[in-house]
Order: sequence, then C-alpha cells, then structure tokens
Amino acid sequence: MSHHNEHSWLLKVRNLTKIYGEPNERSVELTGPEFGTNICPDTDSIVACAGVSFDLYPGEVLGIVGESGSGKSTVVKLLYFDIEKTLGSAWLRPYGDGKSNILEASGQQKRYIRNHLMGTVYQNPRDGLNFSFSSGGNIAEKLIMAGHMHVGNIRGRASYLLDKTEVPVRRMDDPPAAFSGGMQQRVQIAKAIANNPPLLFLDEVTTGLDVSVQARVLDLIRELQQELGVAMIVVSHDLSVIRMLTDRTLVMKHGRVVEAGLTDQILQDPQHAYTQLLVSSLL
Amino acid sequence: MIENIKYKKSYNYAFIDESTKKEVRRKLLKAVAIPGYQVPYSSPEMPIARGWGTGGLHVTLALIGRNDIFKIIDQGSDASVNACNLREFVQAMTGCKVTYDTTEATLIQTRHRITEEELREDQLFVFQVPQPEPLRGVERYEYRTRQMHGEADYAKMWVSLYESFVRHGDIMLGAGYPVKVNGRYIMAPSPIPRWDIPNLHQAKTLYLFGAGREKRLYAVPPHTTVEPLEFEDVKFNIERFNGVTCSKTGYRRAFLDELFLDDGSKTFVINDSNFLDKMEHGESVHQFTNLYLQQLI
Amino acid sequence: MNIVEVHQLTKTFELHILNGKRITALNGIELVIEEGEIIGLTGKSGSGKSSLMKCLYRTYLASSGEILYSSQSGVIDLVKARDHEVLALRRSEIRYCSQFLSVIPRVSAVDVVAEPLMRTERNRDLARARARQLLEVLGLPVELWDAYPVTFSGGEQQRINVARAIISRPRLLLIDEPTASLDARTKDVVIGLIRDLKQDGTSVLCISHDEYTLGKMADRRLHLSGGHITSGLTATI
Repeated sequence: MSHHNEHSWLLKVRNLTKIYGEPNERSVELTGPEFGTNICPDTDSIVACAGVSFDLYPGEVLGIVGESGSGKSTVVKLLYFDIEKTLGSAWLRPYGDGKSNILEASGQQKRYIRNHLMGTVYQNPRDGLNFSFSSGGNIAEKLIMAGHMHVGNIRGRASYLLDKTEVPVRRMDDPPAAFSGGMQQRVQIAKAIANNPPLLFLDEVTTGLDVSVQARVLDLIRELQQELGVAMIVVSHDLSVIRMLTDRTLVMKHGRVVEAGLTDQILQDPQHAYTQLLVSSLL
Repeated sequence: MIENIKYKKSYNYAFIDESTKKEVRRKLLKAVAIPGYQVPYSSPEMPIARGWGTGGLHVTLALIGRNDIFKIIDQGSDASVNACNLREFVQAMTGCKVTYDTTEATLIQTRHRITEEELREDQLFVFQVPQPEPLRGVERYEYRTRQMHGEADYAKMWVSLYESFVRHGDIMLGAGYPVKVNGRYIMAPSPIPRWDIPNLHQAKTLYLFGAGREKRLYAVPPHTTVEPLEFEDVKFNIERFNGVTCSKTGYRRAFLDELFLDDGSKTFVINDSNFLDKMEHGESVHQFTNLYLQQLI
Repeated sequence: MNIVEVHQLTKTFELHILNGKRITALNGIELVIEEGEIIGLTGKSGSGKSSLMKCLYRTYLASSGEILYSSQSGVIDLVKARDHEVLALRRSEIRYCSQFLSVIPRVSAVDVVAEPLMRTERNRDLARARARQLLEVLGLPVELWDAYPVTFSGGEQQRINVARAIISRPRLLLIDEPTASLDARTKDVVIGLIRDLKQDGTSVLCISHDEYTLGKMADRRLHLSGGHITSGLTATI
C-alpha cells in the first residue's frame, strides 16, 4: 500500500524529448549511452534528451546530474519554457488541477505559469536578471507580473526578500552590474522566490563562482528550502552540490536517464556503470 | 483644340491616389475597431520629409472632403511655420476652407497638443506621432514589443515607471505619458503634455493617430476609457502652474507656455493660440473639463 | 505486532568498474523486529551489519527479498517502495544514525540537530530550542553549540549524531555504534535516551560491539556472520 496518495504529486513529466535538426523514426533508438553519442548517424540530428520521465512531490529536492551533453540542462529548459519540446508531456498540480499538459499551453498561459508557479535561477545572472533595472526593480517585475501594483508594498516585499537572501537592502536600488557574482546569484534567488512558487529550478547556479562564494549560495538555498518547503529541481555536474542539496537524483548520459534513485543510494550504492564511474570520480 | 479639363490638374484630389486612400481608410477602420492597437500601413511617400508630419497628413488627406473645414496646429499654434506650410499644402490639394477657429473646424490636425476648447462629435482630430510604440524605451526589438502587446505583457513598462519613481521620487514623464486604452492596449498618445491626457478619456470626438515614419495608425474611438498608467500609491497628476497666470489674459486654467524675454525675465502665456485669441477678445469659449482640472483651484 | 519483517533479503554488489566483480554482503536474511523492541546486532566487520541497516533505510537497494515495514498508514515493502514513499517515511517515521557524523559544512551543531524537526515543523526557533535541550542532556559544552562540528572530537560528533537521530522521536530507529567513542557517563546518557524512546513505542535496531551497551539496552540480539544471521539471543534486562 502506498504511503502517499497517488495524486499528491506536484510535477509529473513523461517522455520528455528534444531533438534538434530533422530526425527520422530511428533517431532516438540510434542514440544514447549504449551508442556513446547524441547524434543520429542517419540524419545528423541531435537528440538532446529523450524519454525523460519522473515525478516530483511537494517539498522534494530532485537533482539532475550529468556531464556535458547529458541533456540535464535541456530537461529544465523545456520545463520552464525556454525551449520548445519535440515530444512529451508535463503536468503541474496547481495548474488546472494537474490535468493540462503545460508544454502545450499557450504563450500567455506559459507566462502565467512562469510568473506564479515557477521560479528560475540561471547559471549566468544575465539570463535571469534584467541589467537595465535595479535589483529591487528586478524583483518588482516579478511582483508586478503577479498583479501587485502598490509601490510601497512592492518595495517592502523586495527588501524582505533581499534581506532573506543576504543582500544588503541599502543596495536595493543599485543595478546588478554593480554586484559581485555571488550577490547577483542571490538577487536571482530573491527574484525567483518572490511570488512563493511551489517549484524552483536551479540550473548550475554555482558553477563558475569562487568556492567560498559557491558555499554561501548553496547554504542559502538549503536554508530557504527548509524554511519555505519549496520543491526544487537542481541541475549540476557537481556531485557534491547534489549531495548537499537533494533528496533524489537523476543521472543522465547522452540525453537519457541512466539511473534514478534516492541521493544517498546513488552515492553509496550506484547500480549503473556510469553512475559508479561518476561517484568514484568524486574528489 | 478641345480642352480636357478632367486631366488639367496633375494631382488627384487630396494628393494621394484613390487606392492608397482606400488602404488608409481600411486600416483606420481596423484601428477604430481595436482601440489603442497599432495597425501597420503603407505610409506612401509625401512631398515632405519623414519626421515632419507625414503620418498625420496621410490620415487627413485620406479622410478630407470638399465640404470639410480644415485647421492645423503645431504645439498649439496655428501660425507656426510648419502649420502654415501644411495648411497651404492641404488647401492647394483639396480646395477646402481653412480656419484658425477650433469650433468652426470639422477636421483638425495637430502636432503635440490637444485644443483647450472641447471637441464635438462631428469633428475629427488627427495626431502627428513620432514614435507610436510606447514600449520602445524599454524594449528595442519590434518582434518582442509586438509579442508583449499581443500577450498584454506590460511588466517592463511598469518596472520602468517604478524605477523612475525610485530614482527621482516621481514618474518623470512629461510629454507622451503612456496610457491604457479600453483596458487592453498600452498606447503612446504622441508627445502631448500631461495636461491633455485626461481629455482623451471618454471624449466625444474620434481621435486618430498617424505615425508616418514608423508606418503605424491607431485610434481612440469616442467614449473610450483612457487611463494613464499609475500605481495604487503613486498617481498621475497634471501640471500645476502654481500661482502663475497668463500675462496677456490673467487666465490660469489653461496650459501655459513659459517665455523668456530679452531682459531675461520669464513670462507665461496661454499655449493654444486660438484659445488665447478668443480670451483676449472676450469671446465665449467652451473648454474641456476633467477631474484633474476640477481639482485645480 | 511486528514493525519490521525481513524475508530472504539478499544484497549483491556488482562493480562495473572492476569488470563486473560481484560481492555478496547479505544472503537470505530472515528477521523480525517487534514493536517497542530494542535489538542488538552483532558481528565482525564485513559481516554485513551496516549493509543490513542500509538496506532497511533504503540507502542500499536490495537485490532480492522483502522488507515489510508497518507504517502508520499500512504495510509497505521497502524493497519495492517508490522513492517518494521512502522519503516520506524517512521524514516522519524511520531514522538512521550512521557510525560517523556526515559533516555538513558551515552548519552549527544546534542546526544540525534541529534539522529533522525543520522538515516537519518548519519553525526554526522551536526546533533550535529542542535541539539545545538535547545537547544539554548529552553534555555537549555550551560553547560548542553554535560552532561547526567539523572541528569537534569523535565523541562530540557522535553526541550530535545521536541527538539528530532521536530528536524527532521516530517509530523505527536504526543506529550504528551509538556509544563507540563515548566515555562511561555519556554512554549511560545515550542508553537512557534510547530506552526513553522505547518507552514511547520506538523500535530500535542497534549495531554495537560494546557488551556494556548491549547488556543495558537490548531485549534481543542477532549475530551476523558472512551475510547470514547465525544466532538470535534474548537478553534480559
């Protein structure tokens, strides 16, 4: 008997597939970890990811780990609508009671989902922040898109969020370009949680930062997750980030999920050969 | 030799050929049907350069008829060089009567002002527009601004107003304050002063906007809701002219020009030249009223 | 009532990077834990004690067999259970305390101990208050409460480890060498805390090689050798 009601999932993803170029019917079967490539030998199309399926429950942190070309970033980019899918479906419980495929929603519906139900933190702050606005203005953008039209309240909420993400509130009206990399990431995090979304995407958020800065950002993410109970999908090539933040993990190679399981199980009892290789490479 | 007078004139009536007039009119109908929405149009070549009122001229010439009485103002003045040139051109091309009197005119073309006197249902009011896209300041790509209008995604516009308030203590837009038309599209009302913005709202007249250089037409039909963008706690207001009056008439409740005299001193005069004329000669005037004006003492 | 029933549990590791070498850690394990029992698990190193515990906690995926756990909402086979079900159980009912504290950097001792309560209650101040109570009982010096455990001695780390495992009063506690690095007085404190849990109905599976601890705590003992259970003694307290 299951402990959780089968209908209590937050995000359900089935057969998520993204192929660049002009594939034929065999493109998916001719690529993947057994073939050691993402590129279809017949058509030269690139199978960035294929057949990705998973469930995410409220408050859970799911990690997606893999090396370059694994498709891990593609999966989240598809889910927060930065790119269009080739095949597949995804359902988000708070949207239409989980009955509508969000990947087939209209532009306006997708925008609604992105503003109210999702938060995204990118590796490069320039992708997630508007550098011509102040950092407070970036957060205001998210709040305005959710219908808050009172400047005083907007500023109050923005300073609360910046304080929570350890950004000095007196720098609220400064543009992000004036901040260090770590602080830019923290502004991104503040913006991402502005509307209390149930789901947060974190795409290689600490890659490229100095180690001490990385540590501070990760600590913040973990604290926020504990306090807000928000579900997260964390993409990283770094297993130690996965170990620190996630409850469950998907291991991807050449666009496919090769192993999925509880994070401690993946790290201590890896089943797939590639996972064993990854884990043994942990410094 | 028998003379054929039909082809004596080298130009079609109102200069533009009939097919082009038809196209402009059809686009104007579409603009009226979707208040505030920018309709692309052919914007044909005119004997004046872009940036000198070709858009307004296109609308005027497509609509004007033999019985129309035409008035044209430039920043409120009938007598400025540009207004005079355009007036002479229209008169030469159409042979219709021209006037300085706001109440007498049936079709009025304007650059950057609405008249002080209230316009009627039987009048047409045509704006010359330099930049029809209200979002251009926050988004430079056309394909993105079109998408933003299509999805009513105006967050960037609002954030720019927020940033202005944060940086300067108020929204610092003087001319061409962005407005929301019929609760749907955000529109650039052409660079009219804040003073004129409330007169767009629930007006009796049909307002038409022509941007020749950018090739866009748009419209605000009569009795349409036009709201300036404002936050719940940061509101729109019009110019106040505190304690200042027109030096020629002593009148306070009209938009005033600030003039510098040769000795360096400042004086204020009513901007709308026809309105000023009428006030100076004690003629009766029927001015626009709106809530903002009523709040001025 | 049995809270855990293990049938024919086998665990074999297949190491692909060593050319598919297979290592069998557990072979056909049969065991039962009754509700409110404290069972001591003994055996030499390499006999499979930690592997058994990790299979129960689902850190290891059993190769075959059944692990039937009586949760608050029914019986569930942990071998076949889905990830999110296991996570839910770990959050509310089953706790595992490993032999050594896995140190999460830059988290103070208090917050390490408070963390399991944060998952259920989300009130940081309340969780911290309870954590401090426990640390006091365990005799961890006050100056260390806000310090980072990475610099602590083995005994100090072990006390934090135990505190974290028991703070949320689990239904099933899996604990590996709880008293190994402790002095006699602290050993008694830990044993007392675990017996307290038993009073509230917690069932405990405890790996220990310390005769003193087992003598004071265990209702029953199981001995593992070469992946098999070779004997089950009942100790009386």
